[in-house]
Amino acid sequence: MSALSFELKGRPDQRLDLSSLVPSRLDGLNRKEIEALSVATTRETLTVGDAFKVKGRDVQNIHFAGTDDRCDKIGAKLAGGEILVDGDAGMLLGAQMKRGKIAVEGSAGVSAGASMSGGEISVRRDVGDQAGGVAFGETFGMKGGFISIGGDAGSLLGERLRRGLIVVGGKAGDYAGGRMIAGTLLLQGGAGRYAGYGNRRGSLIFADKPRHLMPTYVDSGVLELDYLRLLETWLREQGLRIRLGGRARRLMGDMAVLGKGEMLILE
Amino acid sequence: MPELKVKGVTIVETFAEAFPMVGTRVIITAPTAEWAMISARTMTGFATSVIACGAEGGIERPLSKSETPDGRPGVAVLLFTMDANMLQTQLRNRVGQCVLTSPGSACYAGLDGEKSLKLGSSLRFFGDGWQMSKVVGGRRYWRIPVMGGEFVCEEKTGMTTKAVGGGNLLVVGKSHKAVLAACTRAVKAMADVPDVITPFPGGIVRSGSKVGSKYAGQIASTNHAYAPGLKWHKDSELPPSAEAVLEIVIDGLTADAVHEAMEVGIHAIAKGGAREGITHITAGNYGGNLGPHHFHLKEIVG
Repeated sequence: MSALSFELKGRPDQRLDLSSLVPSRLDGLNRKEIEALSVATTRETLTVGDAFKVKGRDVQNIHFAGTDDRCDKIGAKLAGGEILVDGDAGMLLGAQMKRGKIAVEGSAGVSAGASMSGGEISVRRDVGDQAGGVAFGETFGMKGGFISIGGDAGSLLGERLRRGLIVVGGKAGDYAGGRMIAGTLLLQGGAGRYAGYGNRRGSLIFADKPRHLMPTYVDSGVLELDYLRLLETWLREQGLRIRLGGRARRLMGDMAVLGKGEMLILE
Repeated sequence: MPELKVKGVTIVETFAEAFPMVGTRVIITAPTAEWAMISARTMTGFATSVIACGAEGGIERPLSKSETPDGRPGVAVLLFTMDANMLQTQLRNRVGQCVLTSPGSACYAGLDGEKSLKLGSSLRFFGDGWQMSKVVGGRRYWRIPVMGGEFVCEEKTGMTTKAVGGGNLLVVGKSHKAVLAACTRAVKAMADVPDVITPFPGGIVRSGSKVGSKYAGQIASTNHAYAPGLKWHKDSELPPSAEAVLEIVIDGLTADAVHEAMEVGIHAIAKGGAREGITHITAGNYGGNLGPHHFHLKEIVG
């Protein structure tokens, strides 16, 4: 069965809420019924058929083509199946998702994977602020799952992260891991100021020594860490060849809060 | 009835009687293959028989770097007991005392069983509050700070209730030397069979037992029917030429695995033929009263 594909007819005049285009909502609908679904917008009434050319049938395998930064909430609350975005995604990509996979070929807007509790999101290029952070109305940030970002991430990456792993290929902005409760950020291109601010039990792994270090982190020196080898092996199985090695400098913090978090700076 | 022979060695038409066990597998890794093996050997030390060891355990096989969760050399260990509570206790004690304490080691689940056993979830308390939990790929691991750095231990491992204990072969020969050589060869060949261990020293038992004893409180005693020094007795099952009998005991995660190991073992024992001094291959059973798994030698040799 061919993938159910949504090809954007043209750049929308307003933001589109695409949260209804997930397998659980589309299951059992024929093409006409799908095209008749309304798409939440900022001003005008719009249906799926007005905005997209719809093809294919497999609701567990959804493709978006030609989307841009106004296509919000793609895969929000996803509970299974796969979504491929051949283009950019707007805000709240995969927010509050539970299971399944989302792959974006371009960039994503703010709050990608916000408060997600499981599943995988991969974004080939950049993401906006608060990736893996707190979705509107939620108390915690990401609560499980895996986000892989090929390019840069904005500020407040993984804010109030509670569980899960975020890997950033490029740079992360200020306050990466701000008020982290637990979980892991792997930062290959460093971060801005105040990384690990308010970190309680989370791990920030830096490929290189960060330019700015919070004064509330204390040095435990260099250690052999089998956890890094475990993580490296698992990442390789996911197709991400990132050399972590087994040695890192460990700084514990944020001592201004619980102080059981860590920064691991790879040797 | 014609006698079944393999290369001149008589295969006695009997069956090995085995019983249900619960079993688990863990993977131990270390900085070197040697240290992984030291840790695994220590964990499976004094684990020959549930009669008085609490568990039957053994090394299934060494694992290459590409086969382990952390990319280091490792060893797969199997552990068996008669019930889940005992398995949990033995696993916790043995990993806690022998793997946690072993330099550079880590311990991971080796089985996705229908039920699970606590692994790191009980050992984490050794961290005294400094332990950290990490979820990688949906599996939880504990990082416990120790003097050697950090002990990484997966939260739980799987358990199977379909395990089989007490698969066995009795090897009868004209000299101790011949029987030992044949059994050593068989244990080596059986080591390549997945999902099984031979828990006794070097895989071989020289003191096969029967259930019960003339002495009160003694739950097992020498299998006098197969003791060459008691050939005069009416119970003896041995031919006059027998000078020694050794047993190979096999535990497996499945009955099929035990069957396969016995097949490999029989052919390895008989490889040298009767001219090496092996006269009979037989098996231990208790008339079908011990357990539901009956491995008939005739069917195995096929």
